[in-house]
Amino acid sequence: MTLLLPDILLVVLAALVMGYDLYKGKSDLVSTVPFTLSWLGLSGIFLLLLCLPYDQTVLYPGGYQVTGTALLFKQVFVLSALFAVLLSRPYFTPGGNKRGLLKYRSEFLFILLLCTFGMFTVVSSTDLLTLFIGMELATIPLYILSGFYKKDSLSVEASTKYIIMGSASTGLLLFGYSFFYGAADSLTFEALAQACTANPQEPLLRLGMLFTLAAIGFKLTLFPFHMWAPDVYDGAPSPVTAFISVSSKAVAIAFLLILVYGPLAPMHSSLQPIFLILAATTMTVGNLGALKQTRLRRFMAYSSIAQAGYIIMALLGDAGAARSSIIFYLFVYAAGNYAVFFIISIIGRNGEENRSGLQGLGKSNPMLAAILMLSAFSLAGIPPLAGFMGKFFLFASAAQKGYYFMVVFAALNSTISLYYYLLLVKEAYIIQPAGETAPIIMDGMQKASLFVLTAIMLLAGILPSFSSNVLAIAG
Amino acid sequence: MNGPFLLTMIWVVPFITALACLPIRTDDHRSIKVISLIGTLINLLLVIVLTFKFIGVSAANPVADGTASSMFHFTYKVGWFKMMNIEYNIGVDAISVLMMLLTAIVIFCGVLASWNVNKQAKEFFILLNVLVAGVYGVFVSIDLFTFFLFYEIAVLPMYLLIGLWGTGKKEYASMKLTLMLVAGSAFILAGILALYFESGLNSFDLQVLSQHHFSDAFQYWVFPLIFLGFGVLGAIFPFHTWSPDGHASAPTAVSMLHAGVLMKLGGYGCLRVAMYLLPEGAQMWMGFFLILVTINVLYGAFGAIRQTDLKYITAYSSVSHCGLVLFGFTALTFTGIKGGVLQMISHGLMTALFFCLIGMIYGRTHTRTVSEMGGLMKVMPFLSVAYVIVGLAGLGLPGLSGFVAEANVFVGAFANPNTINRVCTVLAVLSIVVTAVYVLRAVNGLVNGPIKEQFATLTDASLLEKIPVTILLICLFGMGILPGWIVELVNNAVHPIYNNLTR
Repeated sequence: MTLLLPDILLVVLAALVMGYDLYKGKSDLVSTVPFTLSWLGLSGIFLLLLCLPYDQTVLYPGGYQVTGTALLFKQVFVLSALFAVLLSRPYFTPGGNKRGLLKYRSEFLFILLLCTFGMFTVVSSTDLLTLFIGMELATIPLYILSGFYKKDSLSVEASTKYIIMGSASTGLLLFGYSFFYGAADSLTFEALAQACTANPQEPLLRLGMLFTLAAIGFKLTLFPFHMWAPDVYDGAPSPVTAFISVSSKAVAIAFLLILVYGPLAPMHSSLQPIFLILAATTMTVGNLGALKQTRLRRFMAYSSIAQAGYIIMALLGDAGAARSSIIFYLFVYAAGNYAVFFIISIIGRNGEENRSGLQGLGKSNPMLAAILMLSAFSLAGIPPLAGFMGKFFLFASAAQKGYYFMVVFAALNSTISLYYYLLLVKEAYIIQPAGETAPIIMDGMQKASLFVLTAIMLLAGILPSFSSNVLAIAG
Repeated sequence: MNGPFLLTMIWVVPFITALACLPIRTDDHRSIKVISLIGTLINLLLVIVLTFKFIGVSAANPVADGTASSMFHFTYKVGWFKMMNIEYNIGVDAISVLMMLLTAIVIFCGVLASWNVNKQAKEFFILLNVLVAGVYGVFVSIDLFTFFLFYEIAVLPMYLLIGLWGTGKKEYASMKLTLMLVAGSAFILAGILALYFESGLNSFDLQVLSQHHFSDAFQYWVFPLIFLGFGVLGAIFPFHTWSPDGHASAPTAVSMLHAGVLMKLGGYGCLRVAMYLLPEGAQMWMGFFLILVTINVLYGAFGAIRQTDLKYITAYSSVSHCGLVLFGFTALTFTGIKGGVLQMISHGLMTALFFCLIGMIYGRTHTRTVSEMGGLMKVMPFLSVAYVIVGLAGLGLPGLSGFVAEANVFVGAFANPNTINRVCTVLAVLSIVVTAVYVLRAVNGLVNGPIKEQFATLTDASLLEKIPVTILLICLFGMGILPGWIVELVNNAVHPIYNNLTR
């Protein structure tokens, strides 16, 4: 039962957070107890995850399976949820953010935790139905979260757009499933794998994969299904944006990994051209789109579209290389992204969350500016930061199958991305602010989080143990 | 101290220096500078020790037949990343030792020359040290991954160094420089991955890879990828455009380091990775690249004639002279490659001194336009004489370092009997004449003639400023008068590469 413990504890934690509010009623609407409970609980679950055995595969009744790879993904999800909780706290404190005050903190955290549980389900599934339910449980809460500024028209727009586009993609996914069912006569991975091995050229499977890819492409913001991302990312509250950009992407790529290297492995070679095109177009569109953005959340939306392009590129390689490089990259991508969002939230306390808000940071708060520079460079993939190692392994996964020119293309693309990441650095260091800059105020939690994130970015690129671990488990 | 430990220390010391600067108060500029100076001095001493040790070792094991195993000395390797068997694998041959010596001298002088940096001095020296650490790292690496990693570390700090402390069009220049160089490394990255997977040896080790014979078809398309990728940093035409703007905008120490050492990383990479690992590719593509670098040599020289800003003149002459490095390599003859290596060292010393002097002169006159100056010999004889000498080195006067290098380059290039080589050599030799024109014109405008009124009260170099200039001058003369030991070392190092090319 130990391997199920994280999942159980997560649900219990969610119940506790909600229960606290139910118990207190209207007598406590502002205290930070639910936050403390959440982050302590999530840290506990993360530590527990680290202690579990990674070399076992246990199948529980009802088709719920725990593997080493699944546990690694759970680490990513828990880490992401943990930072999202820490990130969101100031937004619920009066004066914590200029855009407005968020309310209903317990509900917010409850939804966030449940969403994370949905992601747990996705990586533990052994049949298409569990996979689907997990995916829905991971997505529907995000519709609610992105509309959490109830009076803000942008936030409501984001939520509405997300629901409509998300529902459409769910429809596509189910449509794709119907083809799988038609080919395999069953929803289990086992049957699907048999059908696929028997005839990898089966047109029904191909059609099914096509629709599934379209649906997942929406979640992963792959071109041409990325249109919603900038609006939703921009409208949603910043912590939600950060959570969507990391967790939602991680779960989508986990979904693809499970299918592509699981039951559908025999048709991998025929999927490669599709991945190639998706990767190339997605990274280009993301990078070109980011060039002109000045609002930071929108900017991060395009940047994360480009990142999805790099990630999908790894699917060109073998199972081991693709899995290990993608999981490792998710860790470093999460660290870089959350670091930037913490900085966004810090400047958002007294200023606008756009690029010019960064001006003068190099003088007024050199440490914060240095962290911004490190995270920008890590996202751009500059050594010796973790992002470089991550990208290197992703590219290597594609190069393994001889797609060298794709590597050239992707590396040139990350040169474009370096331009706009450098614009952040330029804004912080080189451009002199015109007037008075808003004072930079950080609380202890933000400092601690930034410290941890920076440590991940610096150490994962230098110390080999991180990537070696991932390789040993997922490779 | 054993060799491999010494090598590791050499790139670690700048990092430690950078870290040591961190706790210092932001406005305590003096301590930061002193720490940096001590750090670079320790480094210089370490590199000198290394050089002597290396001369001893290489005299004991002369490279006769040039098998790859005898190419590097002081080798040491330990596993690093298990994924893809990446190793921390170090070792040096004569070329890298000499380049490290050059780096140590230039950065020591560079720190002295930037004694007057008072704007955010802490960040400046930290970045400078990180950059230098990257440069040393490239020279000690024989694992391609580590090589690339250090290469990128060396390129990136440049953005802030130019953008924040530069002059003129600094924001434009720094962005252009960074992006062009990183785009170049995109090609290198793909090339390295291709080498790794195509060889199927599960190793990034240069020595291991050099044993593998890559198919001609593979070499045909990977060679230009890697050669051009490194060539961007070597300012190969038409990817040289970052160089004039970048060097002209950069602060003194950064120009010195960048033109003096960093551009050599490009040539070094071309030789070490592209030509060494892909000899057939080199044979196939050399005609094409020869034409490109010939354009470099001429275009840079003619470009320099048109410039009026001292820094731009030097920057364009760098394009021309760095072109000579690659020109020597593309000749594919023993003497040519040797000349190219010598030119890397000679040009490094020369440009560093050029930029150092220009920085000092600019610090006094506050203009870099030649026509606005004149008669400086009267008020600053030391700086003026030094400028004249380095100018003469630039146009290849015997007795100075430039002559040794250029003579080898041109003789080596002409030694290749192909018509295209001969024609290109004749054209490239013309650049010497053009060089004489722009160097002498600048010297004339600067030091001769009547002195302008506003400059009459200027002072000559202080003692602190005389030190770096003197060191670099001694090196210029030393290499010009006593080139024997350097040439011998380079001979040893070029043998294995040349043998590989002609196998």
